Amino acid sequence: MKLAQLSRRQRGLALCAPISEEKIDDRAMRGAISQAHKTDDFVHQQAFDHAVNALVRTIPIPPEIAEWFSTEHIILGPPRTWQRLARNPAMVAIAIALGVIAGIFVYQFVEHLHDFPGSGTARRLLKVASSTRSIILDPIKTDATALGDLFFMKHRLAHYDVPPEFADFHTLGARVFDDEEGLRVAQVWLAEKRMQFFLFPAERDAKTGKVLDFSGWRYVDHEGWTGVVQQRNGVCFLAALRGREKDLAPYIAKAKQ
Amino acid sequence: MMGDARKAQDVFHATLREAAERAVNSEAPRDPFWLFRAARDRCLEASEQGLQAEDVDLEEQEVAPWAASQIERLDANQLAIWISGAPDPQRTALALFYLDEFSHHDLLALTELTPDELAKAISNGRQQFQGWLNTTVPHTEL
Repeated sequence: MKLAQLSRRQRGLALCAPISEEKIDDRAMRGAISQAHKTDDFVHQQAFDHAVNALVRTIPIPPEIAEWFSTEHIILGPPRTWQRLARNPAMVAIAIALGVIAGIFVYQFVEHLHDFPGSGTARRLLKVASSTRSIILDPIKTDATALGDLFFMKHRLAHYDVPPEFADFHTLGARVFDDEEGLRVAQVWLAEKRMQFFLFPAERDAKTGKVLDFSGWRYVDHEGWTGVVQQRNGVCFLAALRGREKDLAPYIAKAKQ
Repeated sequence: MMGDARKAQDVFHATLREAAERAVNSEAPRDPFWLFRAARDRCLEASEQGLQAEDVDLEEQEVAPWAASQIERLDANQLAIWISGAPDPQRTALALFYLDEFSHHDLLALTELTPDELAKAISNGRQQFQGWLNTTVPHTEL
């Protein structure tokens, strides 16, 4: 193999390959030398350069000049500054990667800041609410408060009661189904602002089986739908509508008054 | 660079004097290669005075496998004179390269040449020196 067979860039670097290995300070040069070592003419070039350098080192240096160079290293590189460090491509890449990781952590933290036991199920049910058509529910026109008895009598679902805040609403339909995690979910369709109610078992501690409690009403949202959740007697109640938190707030505020 | 120890010494002292004067006037150069640049400039300036090397096209020959043994037969002054006779920037490139004190990046910064120009200067220098070696200390005579 000949040096001429290397790429132009590698040939150029190999032709000025430093005589001492410790003077090789970059990856491109190291790569070029590694390739060039496979060629005979580079081996001859290195022998030539070493011989010339050996001859150069025999040149006597007058003592009055030699004393100026008391140390071996006559070249001091520029001091490492923050600016140089910041411009290093490796440092820039590390900084970007750390920035992205930190961004993901912050996003995850903010996303789950208002989480509560059962918030995952509530978000999933908001998705169900957005895709539900009224015809898949059994038509039941009554007061929402009456549905608790229906769910208990017909489906043996204890404590599936609509809270007093939403008890006066008139229903259009209802159904009970098993969601993707096997939870028995009751869904109620209302005349009021196409609102929907969901009743589902509260989240429980995996080890003790104890209900993970939380107090008051908690908001949850998903793709333009907003819900407000309350847990009572091991059952969560979710009132959902298409809109924002401010659209649901009056119902909760009314109850507090 | 000079091919003459006494002239080189003069250049060295003149450069040091300038560095000292700059330091006294709080104008110490921040460029780590300043000393080498200044010395190179003084060498080139000094070379323009006195006898000039003949401008001839040196024959270029492939670096021979036995080149090292040819070089061992030389005197350091012969090498110094040969390099000092080379045209600049080839002379600067060869002198700094064979000092073996600089990395590739340092050489590019010092000579102010592009990577291709530096490679060409050093490579041609090698081949011309090999041509000169073949004439001065032919392999058959070893």
